[in-house]
Amino acid sequence: MEAVNERELVERCRQGDQGAFQELVDRYKDLVFALIARTVQDRSRAEDLAQDVFLRVHRGLPYFRGEARLSTWIYRIVANVCLQDQSRAPKASVSLDDGRGAARTPSAADRQYGDLELRDRLEKGIARLPANYRLLVAAHYLDGVQYEELAEALQLPLGTVKTQLYRAKQQLRRLLETELK
Amino acid sequence: MFCDEALDAIEPIAAGELKPDGRIAAHLASCPNCAAALEDARRLERMLRSRPIPRTPPQFTSRTMAIVRRQRWRSEQFLDVGFNVVLIAVALVIVGGVWLFMSQTGLAAVSSDAVDLFGAGFATVARRVAPSVPLYAGATALLAMALGIWWWAERDASL
Repeated sequence: MEAVNERELVERCRQGDQGAFQELVDRYKDLVFALIARTVQDRSRAEDLAQDVFLRVHRGLPYFRGEARLSTWIYRIVANVCLQDQSRAPKASVSLDDGRGAARTPSAADRQYGDLELRDRLEKGIARLPANYRLLVAAHYLDGVQYEELAEALQLPLGTVKTQLYRAKQQLRRLLETELK
Repeated sequence: MFCDEALDAIEPIAAGELKPDGRIAAHLASCPNCAAALEDARRLERMLRSRPIPRTPPQFTSRTMAIVRRQRWRSEQFLDVGFNVVLIAVALVIVGGVWLFMSQTGLAAVSSDAVDLFGAGFATVARRVAPSVPLYAGATALLAMALGIWWWAERDASL
């Protein structure tokens, strides 16, 4: 979104224009929902959290100084909401093995279902990552979220974001190692 | 070059953010473990890039807007109640202050005669007004009902 349009939209929202806020929700809902749904991996929970994000945006708009881009500020709220939710939720204990044995070598028949099975295991693997890694993986592979924006939203140096993302993928690769071979 | 060094570069290479230089490329060509790790990392990268994007539920915007409006209405109600409480508190403080001032300065004794006088006057007025009380009560009830309907309609509109 252009900076001028963004400022105008924020200004209209601040003046209590409900239509402007609805426009804001429409513009960011897909990105916010996708980011949260990928992080928490539960659609109904993701919807509640996404609504919570927009509620916080609505409450916080009078205090938004416009120093960062609106999208960056929204990502920061998303990150806070996801990390707070993670700290409240009980530790995930998703098994990658489904009782089939971790070191089992996939047979030829398994390979026919390889993609689906791997996708399922990938999601389970991601669920076992720490919340901040999950958020990074979720955001990085969504269209429109740049490294720089992510670094600003998470208030981390760009290098740290990249390093953490590499570590997340390394950890994920280790989790899935036997299945990917 | 040791495997540890090459393995540190696996993720950036798989993501296409780092081109393997001569030493790393040579190591990857000669070390089957590191080459397999790079292949795994590339496969993971492809899977992550092709992860389906979760679709926003239909009616998300309208549901969110309803929640935002409800929240706003609640905070306005809270402000109204707070304002009224403050007003009552201020009124009580003023009344208490006046009473304290009068009792401290002895004006209360003088004012009790005035209260008796006003009381007698009030009783006279009340005797004259008493026949019209049902009429006033009916009118007040009608007014209260109209105000209630207006408040109810306004509340629905704001939601």
